[in-house]
Amino acid sequence: MWAMLQTLNDEVPKYRDQIPSPGLMVFPKPLTALEYTYSMSKPPTYEKFTEDLKRFLEPYSVEEQKNLTNCPDGTPFKQSGPVYQACQFPVSLLQNCSGVNDTDFGYSKGQPCILVKMNRIIELMPDGSPQIICDAKDADIANILTYPDHGLIDLKYFPYYGKKRHVGYRQPLVAVQVIFESSATKKEVTVECKIGGSSNLKNEDDRDKFLGRVVFKVTVST
Amino acid sequence: MEPGKEKGTATPREQNQSPRPNLKPVTMNKNLRKKKKKDLEELKKEVDMDDHKLTLDELSAKYSVDLTRGHSLKDAQEILFINGPNSLTPPPSIPNWVKFCKQMFGGFSLLLWTGAFLCFLAYSINLRYNEKADKDNLYLGIVLSAVVLITGCFSYYQESKSSKIMESFKNMVPQQALVIRDGERMQINVKDVVLGDLVEVKGGDQVPADIRVISAQGCKVDNSSLTGESEPQSRCPDCTHENPLETRNIIFFSTNCVEGTARGIVISTGDNTVMGRIASLTSGLTMGQTPIAVEIEHFIHLITAVAVFLGVTFFFLSLILGYGWLDAVIFLIGIIVANVPEGLLATVTVCLTLTAKRMARKNCLVKNLEAVETLGSTSTICSDKTGTLTQNRMTVAHLWFDKTVYEADTSEEQTTGKTFPKSSDTWFYLARIAGLCNRADFKPHQESVPVAKRATTGDASESALLKFIEQSYNSVNEMREKNPKVAEIPFNSTNKYQMSIHLLEDNPQAHMLMMKGAPEKILDFCTSFMLNGQEFPMDEEMKVDFQNAYLELGGMGERVLGFCYLNLPSNFSKGFQFNTDELNFPMESLCFVGLISMIDPPRTAVPDAVGKCRNAGIKVIMVTGDHPITAKAIAKSVGIISEANETAEEMAARLNIPVSQLNTKSIKAIVVHGSELKDMDSNQLDHILKTYKEIVFARTSPQQKLIIVEGCQRLGAIVAVTGDGVNDSPALKKADIGIAMGITGSDVSKQAADMILLDDNFASIVTGVEEGRLIFDNLKKSIAYTLTSNIPEITPFLMFIILSIPLPLGTITILCIDLGTDMVPAISLAYESPESDIMKRLPRNPKTDNLVNHRLIGMAYGQIGMIQALAGFFTYFVILAENGFKPLDLLGIRLYWDDARLNDLEDSYGQQWTYEQRKVMEFTCQTSFFISIVIVQWADLIICKTRRNSLFKQGMKINWWFCAIPYSALIFIYDEGRKLIIRRRPGGWLEKETYY
Repeated sequence: MWAMLQTLNDEVPKYRDQIPSPGLMVFPKPLTALEYTYSMSKPPTYEKFTEDLKRFLEPYSVEEQKNLTNCPDGTPFKQSGPVYQACQFPVSLLQNCSGVNDTDFGYSKGQPCILVKMNRIIELMPDGSPQIICDAKDADIANILTYPDHGLIDLKYFPYYGKKRHVGYRQPLVAVQVIFESSATKKEVTVECKIGGSSNLKNEDDRDKFLGRVVFKVTVST
Repeated sequence: MEPGKEKGTATPREQNQSPRPNLKPVTMNKNLRKKKKKDLEELKKEVDMDDHKLTLDELSAKYSVDLTRGHSLKDAQEILFINGPNSLTPPPSIPNWVKFCKQMFGGFSLLLWTGAFLCFLAYSINLRYNEKADKDNLYLGIVLSAVVLITGCFSYYQESKSSKIMESFKNMVPQQALVIRDGERMQINVKDVVLGDLVEVKGGDQVPADIRVISAQGCKVDNSSLTGESEPQSRCPDCTHENPLETRNIIFFSTNCVEGTARGIVISTGDNTVMGRIASLTSGLTMGQTPIAVEIEHFIHLITAVAVFLGVTFFFLSLILGYGWLDAVIFLIGIIVANVPEGLLATVTVCLTLTAKRMARKNCLVKNLEAVETLGSTSTICSDKTGTLTQNRMTVAHLWFDKTVYEADTSEEQTTGKTFPKSSDTWFYLARIAGLCNRADFKPHQESVPVAKRATTGDASESALLKFIEQSYNSVNEMREKNPKVAEIPFNSTNKYQMSIHLLEDNPQAHMLMMKGAPEKILDFCTSFMLNGQEFPMDEEMKVDFQNAYLELGGMGERVLGFCYLNLPSNFSKGFQFNTDELNFPMESLCFVGLISMIDPPRTAVPDAVGKCRNAGIKVIMVTGDHPITAKAIAKSVGIISEANETAEEMAARLNIPVSQLNTKSIKAIVVHGSELKDMDSNQLDHILKTYKEIVFARTSPQQKLIIVEGCQRLGAIVAVTGDGVNDSPALKKADIGIAMGITGSDVSKQAADMILLDDNFASIVTGVEEGRLIFDNLKKSIAYTLTSNIPEITPFLMFIILSIPLPLGTITILCIDLGTDMVPAISLAYESPESDIMKRLPRNPKTDNLVNHRLIGMAYGQIGMIQALAGFFTYFVILAENGFKPLDLLGIRLYWDDARLNDLEDSYGQQWTYEQRKVMEFTCQTSFFISIVIVQWADLIICKTRRNSLFKQGMKINWWFCAIPYSALIFIYDEGRKLIIRRRPGGWLEKETYY
């Protein structure tokens, strides 16, 4: 067993064919199913979400990222080592959901922010310009806003070189804000997010419901 | 007159037999007793009747019947009403569905059912408390049930083909009987024959009940179905023996009357007849469990103990580790179920079936599958003599003429080439008398059959002489044509001689009187004797010589006949009318020629087979109805009593001291007479069975045979019994393995037996024993092989619980191993050849030498199984590590791993996995874990081939395994080449022809 462990490469796993395409996941992760249910007037019902978000975004603060590289936009940031640099992901890209202006991430106003992130896969290189496209199942009830605009994920965050080599890597995020229509009587909506704009990232697998897509439900009561 | 009242007083013995106060007439008692639950102990006792000793008047009084007019119609009807019909009560038959359920829920099946039930329980618990229940437990439950159902149906089918004892009894009941009632003869249904009926039986009839003969004309009955004696016996009204079975004035229910007629009084009907008692005894006996069933039960206990121990341990362990009650219970069930060797039941059944087939090829037809192994554990064989040890064919063994004993060839194939001086003139006379003064004849159209095997008409001794003369002298038929018979007196039991008068071929005008018969009778007729063709007057020296020769031959258990002749004076020349009733010719002063003795000689292969049994530690006991002297002679010649040993009587004779002064410790052999056995209690019998190594029981009755079998079983022996008659069926049924004779055996004995010897040869039993021992050894190997994979099947689940790692091996894959990849190899082990000389070791001790013992479990589970589990886990960890999950990071990951909503689980390299991706990974691991087990099982299979010998010694030619390897390489190269060309030249000829 020990001998086997010695044959392993510490930086890259031997095989990566089990995860050819990334999954999509939301943050914060509700305790039960992917359902965000809370009451605007009762802060304890959403404090867990906002706390999680704050903690999650801490590494994304300007202060934390000051040692990271400011990479050029729009091109893959390919490196060949031996030292690998990580690109900055300024939290301001998340605009309303950055938590800078609104420490409640819109929860108190009934417009909750939810982060969508693409699973890290070592040396994955998306084609085209990948973006997260989110839609509400029922457009009459809620509007979906995504930050950065159009949910674009900049290519400079790819490829990822693994935990060991790529110290300080900031996973690119897309924030989704659910804005309920004032006319909606029941503030409950199902949102589906998909990876788009890239031909080699799958988003319609029959078996794997999280491969390049994620579905979650938001229910807000007063 | 009320018929019963008289009987009550006439038979005081009957009153004593009945435990209840004798308020009712005896007929009623009998009737009620019959309806009572059969008291087996009573049935085992000797047939106890005194009707044969009664005078006709007493008989008439006892049954209150007129000996010429029979019952009145009214009486007969009354008795019929009281006693019920004259037929055998069929045993309480077990309904088919009960038998089916026995197969379904007995022994091993029960274990599997429990497993299946637990699976369904676990599934329903899961279903109730988790929304998304794992279907594995459901599948497992279904498969387990299916396995039991299929194997159960198979066994039921096998079983239902046999065990129909009573049906053959039923068929024996004759349809019509001729009775005399009110002085009129009438044909009635046999069922309506009643006690005391006056019945007439004639040649060809089946006897309708047990009948006391009151008058007979040349009546002979064939008692073979009852006693196994094949010679027809004559019947007359006189009581000739104490024993009702041997006396000549009783004929028995369901035997056949061969010739003549007889008239008699019915003394018992239906179940009270001797045959009925045997039938009830047979069907009333409960068979013990077969040794293999005991072993399997033992095995189930062991496995269950291991399973429950593991289950409970991990139940508490998982509670300590912080799992909920529900999880812990599901774990408990899972572990117990995982311990069930699903494929083993089928494996054992198939292994036994295969051996049964192999044994059938060696003339042992096995009716009951489990009996295959029983034969291997046999430690005592109680063998019949006639037909099994012997050829069942009287053959001339010795001749005595010219004052010398000569040995004849008795082997089956006439190969020993023993000879005697055929040039002597005495032999010429002897052969002539033996051939001419002989009523036996060959049946026609047998020219191509060897003389010894030709069928003959006439009694056994005469046939033996006929064959002997045909073989060693000349054609008997030719001789008879040339020396025509002019008069004869046939043999009968009163005068004990046979005489015939012939015209002589060398002197056609003269007659010669020839006589043969019991030697002492013949000697009385003689005043001279022949020596080297010359006549000498009889003297004392000759008489002494004669006595010595007679004793010598008789002492060898042989049937001795004397031969003499007389040349009739010339006044009795051709044309003289001989009157054999009034003897108008001289029949005295004959000339003694010699003696010929006959025996039913042992089969050629038997001494060797007995020797093998002895080497194999199996005690061979001879149980026969024959006379002690004959029995002992045969026992000595086949080695049941070995040459070195002698009985107490023999030793006493040799040392010339009374038997009582002998040191009994040094005596290893004994011949027990049936009448001695009758007076013994079970302790005395046990003492005999324990003390003596070489035992012959002579003059035994069917009931005694049963007692002997039970005695051996009481001493812990596993007993095989051979037999052919109906009388043997209780012993056959009681024995651990009953062996019936295929050729001579009656249907009833075949039904009662577990195994049938197709060639009636004792030697076949020995091959059977060998096969039985082999399958026991090989089953051990099969089980060791099958059990080993249990450990790599269970440990993944245990590790899943303790270490909280992703499940390394799923339920379905476990089923694939148990019912798929393990099954055929396990069966193949049944073909393994023996390692040591299995016929040179003692029979296994059923108490200590188990099929599955803790050493086997320890070896399979503790050692090989652990290595296999290591192999599996190694593969599992390698695959996960190479895909990103290092072993240390896996510990404790289970909750996250199995969380379907957690879709960004991070591995050791920072990559994130969705649930589905992880599961695909997990299945890959399970597949490779499965493959690892299969591969290590290859090695396990090979090591299980032997238990002691080195594989290389056992005939594993490793180099033969490599012969095909170059060809495998060729296949690779060839096909890679083909594909290369197809890729290079798309659309080319090769692609058109070979791309699929």
